[in-house]
This record gives sequence, C-alpha cells and structure tokens, in this order.
Amino acid sequence: MHRNGWLNDRFVTGFAYLFIALFAMMCLYPLLLTVSVSFSSEQAITKNGYSIIPQEFSLDTYRYIFANSGGRILRSYGVTIFVTIAGTLGALLLTSMVAYALSIKKLRYRNIIAFICNFTIIFSAGLIPWYIVNVNYYGLKNSVLALIVPSLFNVWNMFLLRTYFAHISPSLYEAAEVDGANHFTIYWKVALPLSKTALLTVGLMYALQYWNDWWHALIFINDRDLFPLQYFLYNILSNVNAISSGRIPSGASGSITLPAETVKMAVTIITIGPILFLYPFVQKYFVQGIMTGAVKE
Amino acid sequence: MIASSEMPETKKSQGFLYEMNKHKILYLMCAPGLIVLILFCYVPFAGVWMAFTDFNVVDGIFGSKFVWFDNFKYFFSKNSMGWRVTYNTLVINFWGIILGIIVPITIAVLLNEIRGKAFKKLTQSMMFFPYFISWVVVGAIIYGIFSSDVGVANGILGWFGMEPIRWYSEPKYWKEIIILANVWKWSGYSSIIYLAAMSNFDGSLYEAAKVDGANKLQQIFRLTIPMLKPTVIVLTLLSVGRIFYGDFGMIYGIVGNNPVLGDEVTIIDTYVYQSMRTLGFSYSTAIGLLQSVMGLILITLANGVAKKVNDGEGLF
Repeated sequence: MHRNGWLNDRFVTGFAYLFIALFAMMCLYPLLLTVSVSFSSEQAITKNGYSIIPQEFSLDTYRYIFANSGGRILRSYGVTIFVTIAGTLGALLLTSMVAYALSIKKLRYRNIIAFICNFTIIFSAGLIPWYIVNVNYYGLKNSVLALIVPSLFNVWNMFLLRTYFAHISPSLYEAAEVDGANHFTIYWKVALPLSKTALLTVGLMYALQYWNDWWHALIFINDRDLFPLQYFLYNILSNVNAISSGRIPSGASGSITLPAETVKMAVTIITIGPILFLYPFVQKYFVQGIMTGAVKE
Repeated sequence: MIASSEMPETKKSQGFLYEMNKHKILYLMCAPGLIVLILFCYVPFAGVWMAFTDFNVVDGIFGSKFVWFDNFKYFFSKNSMGWRVTYNTLVINFWGIILGIIVPITIAVLLNEIRGKAFKKLTQSMMFFPYFISWVVVGAIIYGIFSSDVGVANGILGWFGMEPIRWYSEPKYWKEIIILANVWKWSGYSSIIYLAAMSNFDGSLYEAAKVDGANKLQQIFRLTIPMLKPTVIVLTLLSVGRIFYGDFGMIYGIVGNNPVLGDEVTIIDTYVYQSMRTLGFSYSTAIGLLQSVMGLILITLANGVAKKVNDGEGLF
C-alpha cells in the first residue's frame, strides 16, 4: 500500500516533468523554426521544406532585405519605436494619476469616476461609430496620433495600479501632508517610487500593446511612411495566404511577386527582434508583477 | 447635537463645489484619463443612432432616413451571414474558454510539483514567450507550419506516407487551428495567474494531508483543484460574459483576408469590419450594437452569478 503510494507519486512527478517539457518545447519550437529558416538559403528551403536546423546557413536573406527595402524597414522601426515610447510614457502617466486619485478613500466622487471607467468595459458603441468619430471629427486618418491616443487609457491597467496604491500605508501620506505636500507631490514623490514593480509591469503591458499593435494601422493608416513594423509584416503576409488558397487565378498572382519563403521569416524575426533581446531581462519582473497583482486582487 | 448655527456650515461643506475645490488636485489628476475615455468611448455612443437609419453621407448621421429595426432584421434574414458568423464566434469562444481553463490549470498544477528550480525557470520562460508576440507573427508561424509546399505539417504527413493537404484552401480545418493557436498563445500567461493563487494556499493543509497518507494525485484533486475553484469561476464568468466578442487581431492576423476560409472563420468582429465596405455603415453599426447589448446582458448576468458563488465578490 505504502509502496504503491510512493510509486504513484514518482509517476505524478515524472509526468509533470514530461508534460511541462513537451509544452515548453511546443512554445519555443516555432521560434526556432522561424530563426532557422531565416538563416537558410532559399534554394534549400524550396527543395526540402522548413526545418529546425538551418539548411546551407546563409545571411543572404537579411542582406537582400536591407539592400532592397532597408529604408522602409528602418522607417517602420522608427514609427514603432516612437509610438511605443511616447504611448507607454503617456499611458503610464494618465493611468497612474487616475489610479492614485481613486485609491484615496477621502475622494467623495471616486465611485462615480470608477463607474465611468467600468462602464466602458461592459458597453461600447462598436467599431463603426468609433471609426467615424475618429476619422471625421478628430481627423485621425493617416495620423501617427491614431496609433497612440486611443489606447492611452486602459481601464484594467488602471484598476491594477489602484490596487497597488491602495496598499501603501496611509501614514506615509499623512506624514507628507503634515509636511505641506499636496496630492500631486505625494503621488510623484511617495506613491510612484514605492510602486516600481507595478509601474514596470503595467508599463511593459502598455509597451507590448503598442509594439504589437497593427490593428489601428489597418484601420487608420494608408500612408506607407507611417506603417508600424507589425503592419509592414502583415502586408507582406496577407497577400501570401490569399494567393496560396488557390482561388486567385494564376494570371493575377503572376503580377504580384510572392516574397520568398526565407524573406517572410526574416522579416518576422526583424519584427520580434527587440522583444527577443529584451525578453530575458524583463520576463522575471513581469512574472513577479503579475503574480503580486493577481494575489492582491 | 451640534449648535444650530453650525448646521448650514456643515451642509455647505458637503456640497459638490466644496468637494471639487477641496480635492481639486485629485480631480484634476483624473481629468486627462477621463477625457480620453469620453472622447473615445462616450462620444461614439451618439453614432449608435446610425443603426436605426439608412445612413448616407449627404444627409449625415441625424439627417438620414429613420428605418426602425430594418438593419437588425437583415442580420437575421436568410441571405445574410448573420447566423453563420454568430455560430463561428460562439464555437471559437466556447472551445477557447474550455481549453483556456484546462490547459493553464494543468500547467500550473504540474509546475507546482516540479522541484528543479532551473528547469522550472527555463520552461516557464519558454511557455511565456507566445504572450509576447503579435498575432501577425503568430500568423507567420502558422504559415510556416501549414503552407502547402514548404510547411512542417505536410512534411510530417509525408513521413507517414500521406498525401499533402492544401491547408489554405481547406476551410474545414481552420476553426481548430485558430482555437489551438489561441490556447498556445495564452496558456503560459494564464498559468501564472493560477500559480499566484496557488502560492497563497495554506501549506499546513498539505502537511496534514501527507500525514493522513494522501498521495500527490489525491492532494491535487482533493486540495489544489477545489481551492482553485473561486479563481476559475471568476475568470470563466468573465470570458462567458464576452462570448459574443471575438478577437479581431487573432482572426485577421492568422488568416488575413483569405476569401476561401471566410465561411469558417469570420466572426462578428471581422464581419462588422468587412460589411462596413460592402453593406454600409448603418448595417455594420446595427451588428456592433447587437453585440454590445448581448454582451451587456451576459456580463451583468455573469456578475450576478459571480457575486452569488463568491460571497458578494463580483467581477466589478
């Protein structure tokens, strides 16, 4: 009986290692595949198909991309970097100010303000009225602001930050108040420095949202000079799978040159490059931030 | 109790203007955020009027002919895609919710059983990776797996001596592909939320269970999973409340505007976007409104249920 139980536990642990290892591999495999194809020679890929080990290792694809559309890619990089930095900083400022104000219990109308925020989660006007207001009244068509302003305030992130601020000891605020500080000073000098993990987590969420956004570009941007990186990639890919569906007559697809297999994967790698680079550094804090945030809720 | 002469004073101190003045800095700090909400969430509500009109640019939103519920009627009529896209949205979301519970909980429970720190750290960061990439990149990866000539899937079929499949012209596989891609992208992230909940569990319960001779499987099924129930319920109700909303980025990022796969993967959100061009603003607004109203009803119900099962703790 006892021995049986011991065997059983060993089995559970073994299964845990196996399952987790397999799932983790499944998550990483596509990335390795993409990297490998981007470093392979085009002929080898067309002949043998994709594989996880680079075939006839070559940097030709990257050379080709930067020689032919390097200017475009760098331009898109510029747009994405600008949007990400400006958006994240702006969003953090706006979100944390509201979060701080709502964490002060003395504020009498804070429930009304919280309701105004919450209601936008549960009910929205829908895409078309939103689009018309943005284009006809705010003039956001083909404007870089269209990529930044509409996402400046995320209600979920605001409530996450408010939970953090609410856990700061009120005596710290009182001490500052006695010293004659007003609420903005307390927010800036006490609350923000004490919430670094939370700000980092929420900041990363905003940064990721801005870096990965292409939907706003799809809707608002026609001007190629304003294409963010992800939308640049989307444009390369979207025609490809329409053509590979076989419905588009061969005559028509003849006029559209299909980007080579390795080129598609190399552009993908260029798009996620900075994320790959930053990932090992930020991942730890991110997990920490989400864990504490989830526990506190 | 207080001298009568002070009464008006106290009354005044509770007035709107007094409160505004007293905490003006705090209210001013709320202003920029609220302005963004008003501009991008509340102002568009005026445009909902279009759902009941036959909008044309010349007469404008409020000048166009009022047609009552005609736009809504068309959505449910035979020659519209209405039922089809509603069905697609529900099926994709339903399986997304089911697998979105099972897979992350399995991961979290099993990760909890693993003692090797390095192994745990490494695998966790691998599983977290999909969360960081955009749907467009997921689309590129899926292309790498399913493209007919060079894709990995057909390579594997080839090993087993099977005929290659032209995936991108076979609509019937794509609901499954999208559902799995969704699980793949979110599981690592969601499992962190469950791990966080688990790290709060009382360790002495497990000690007691061990003393009573419970093995690991029994601990998992009698302790861990029952204690996870409140978290699971809240997260599930939240997604049930949003079951009529699909992920536009997911569908467009993976299949783009591929006309062949449309019947199987068009969801309400992408249908609204497509009908904007072909069927006009009024019709698309009507569908969007229908979706919002259904969402409002469902999320209110879900909130009520959450409050019942969780001792008054709702979603909001």
